[in-house]
Amino acid sequence: MATNGDATLKVVPVRHPGRWVGVGVALLFIAMLVHTLFSRVPRGQGSCHPAAGVATCWRFSWNDVGQYITTSTILHGLLLTLELTPLAMIIGIVLGVILAVMRLSPNRLLSSTAWSYTWFFRGTPVFVQLYFWLYIALLYPTFTIGIPFLHYVPFTHVAFWHLDSNSIFNPFKAAVVALGLNEAAYMSEIARSGLIAVDEGQVEAATAIGMTRGQTLRLVVLPQAMRVIIPPTGNEVISMLKTSSLASAIGVTELLGASANIYNANYKIMALLIVASLWYLLVTTVLSIGQFYLERRFAKGALRTPPPTPIQRLRRDLKGVLEKFTVGHRQIVEVGQ
Amino acid sequence: MQRISRVRQALVMTGVASLMLATSVSAGAAGATAKLNAADAKLVPATYKNMTLQVATDATYAPDESMNGTTMVGFDVDLMKAIATTLGLKINETNVTFSGIILGISSGKYQIGNSSFTDNKAREKQVNFVDYFQAGEGVYAKANSKATFTGLKSFCGMKVAVETGTIEQTDAQTTAKACPKNKKLTILSLSTQTAANLAVSSGQADVGFLDSQIAGYVVSTSNGAFKLIGSAVNVAPYGIATPKTTAGKGLAVAIQAALKTLVANGVYGAILKKWGVSAGALPVSKIVLNGATS
Repeated sequence: MATNGDATLKVVPVRHPGRWVGVGVALLFIAMLVHTLFSRVPRGQGSCHPAAGVATCWRFSWNDVGQYITTSTILHGLLLTLELTPLAMIIGIVLGVILAVMRLSPNRLLSSTAWSYTWFFRGTPVFVQLYFWLYIALLYPTFTIGIPFLHYVPFTHVAFWHLDSNSIFNPFKAAVVALGLNEAAYMSEIARSGLIAVDEGQVEAATAIGMTRGQTLRLVVLPQAMRVIIPPTGNEVISMLKTSSLASAIGVTELLGASANIYNANYKIMALLIVASLWYLLVTTVLSIGQFYLERRFAKGALRTPPPTPIQRLRRDLKGVLEKFTVGHRQIVEVGQ
Repeated sequence: MQRISRVRQALVMTGVASLMLATSVSAGAAGATAKLNAADAKLVPATYKNMTLQVATDATYAPDESMNGTTMVGFDVDLMKAIATTLGLKINETNVTFSGIILGISSGKYQIGNSSFTDNKAREKQVNFVDYFQAGEGVYAKANSKATFTGLKSFCGMKVAVETGTIEQTDAQTTAKACPKNKKLTILSLSTQTAANLAVSSGQADVGFLDSQIAGYVVSTSNGAFKLIGSAVNVAPYGIATPKTTAGKGLAVAIQAALKTLVANGVYGAILKKWGVSAGALPVSKIVLNGATS
C-alpha cells in the first residue's frame, strides 16, 4: 500500500482536535436539549394538574399540544394567517416596485414623493399603523370615490361611491392595508437595491441600441435585478408570516389570536404557544424550500452550475458514506489476496 | 382623539375624585382610614410577611382601576391599600395586561391579582379568590344607536367589543355559537378596555360589553356620547386572586379577615361610596373564599 517507497515516513490524515472537541460539545448540548424537551415533571409543579391516578406530566405539555394542534379554532386561525400574508405581500411588492422606480426617476418630485413615503411608513411602528387603520372612522367616517376638490365648487359635487369606513376597514381589511402599506416601504428599498445592482453598462448598451426607458427597465434591468431582489423578498415573506401575528392586537383571530383565545379560557399558555410556533415553523419551512428553488431558477443566467438541491445533496452524501465502507472493504480484500 | 379623551377623562376623574374626597372629609366619615389589625396580620403566611408582594392590575377599567398620569387610582386600588395596611403588608402595584394576570399568578410572577376579576369556577382552578364585591355585565352603545339589549341572545346580529380574557369575552363567545346563521354575532376583542371603548366610539363595534359599573362610568364621563342599554345580567362576585398554593390560600384567608375588619370599621363602605360603586357592596356573610356558583 505504501507507494512512496520510503519505509520511515508514516503518512496519516491531518488531525483536527479542535473540531472533535466542538463536535463533542455540540453533541452534548443536543443530548441535553432532547432530554429536557421530553422530560416529565411531578404533579403540582408549574401547570401540571394531570388526571387522577397519574403522577407526572410532560414538562412541555406534549399531550395538550397534540390535542390542540388540529382543532378547528387553530386551523381557522392558520387559514386567516395564510390569507393575510400573501394579500399584504402582494400590496407590498407591487407598491414597493412602483416606489423604487419612482425613486430612481430623474423627476425630483416623483423621487421625493417616493422617499417621503418610505420615510413615513418605515418611521412609524407597525403596531401604531394597525391601530390607525382600525380606528380610521374617527377621522373619516365615510370614504367617497369621486373627483377630488370638486366639492368646493357649488352644484358640481360628483361622487360615484359612498362607503362607510367601518364596513371597508373591518379588522381583517385594516390589517391587510396596514401591513401591506408598511411592507411597501421596506420592499421599495429592496427593489431599489436590486435595480442599482444591475451594471450601468447594461442600461448604456440598451440605450445605444435604441430601447426606450420603459423597454430597458422591463426587458433588461428587471430580469437581472430579480437575482438580487429574490433572497431579501423571500425573507420579507417569511417575516410577514410572523408579523401578521400583530393583527391579533386589533382583533383578527389569526393563528396567534386563535391560540390566545384558547389559552385565555383554559390557561394552558405554554402548550398553545407551542402549537402556534409549530404551525409557523411548518409554513416557514415550506416557504424556505420554495425560495430555494426560485433562487435557482433566477440564477440560470449567472452561474455555470447551480448549487445542488437538498435532494441532490442528500443522495451525494449517502453515496459518499456508502463508498467509504465499500471501497475500504475492497482494499482489505485486495491486500488479503 | 384617544389622547384628548384620555386627558379629558383624567381631568373629569380628578375633579370627581377630589369633590368626593372633599365631601367625605367634611362629612367626617367615621373610620375613613385603615389601621393595622394585629389579629388579622397574624394570619399572613410567613413567606409573605417579609417580601414586597407584587399586585397585578389592568388599569384600564375606571372607576375600579385606571391610570391618573403615572399613579394608579380606583376603588380596587384604595381597597387593596386598606387591606395591606390592615395586614401590615408591603405591596407593589404593577399595571399589566388583564389576560396575563392569572397566568402570572400561576407562574409565581405576582402574588395578588387585583383587577375586578369575576370569581368563576374555571378561574378557581388556577387561583384562589376572596370575594369582595359584586357586579353584573352591562352594555353600552353610542347615544344615537338603535340597538336594544334584553339578554345575551340580543347580541346576535351585532358587533360586540370586549376586552380579551374577560368573562364578557367568554360569554359572548358562548352566545355566538348559539346564534342563528343569518344573525351572526361578531366579537371584536382587544387587549385593553380603552381600546374596546374606542372601537365603539369609532363605530367598529355596535355595543361594548363589560362590567356594569364600568359601563355606568364610561357613559357618565362620555359627555353624552354613549348611553347604557338594557340592564345588567349575570351578577357575580368579584374576587381578589392569590396563588393556588398552601401559602396562597393562607394569604387569601388573611385578606378575607382584613376585608371583614374593613367592613366592620366602615372603611369598605367609605371607599365604595367615594367611587360611586356602593351598589356592588357585598354583605359580610358573602365575603368568602372561592364562592363562585358558575
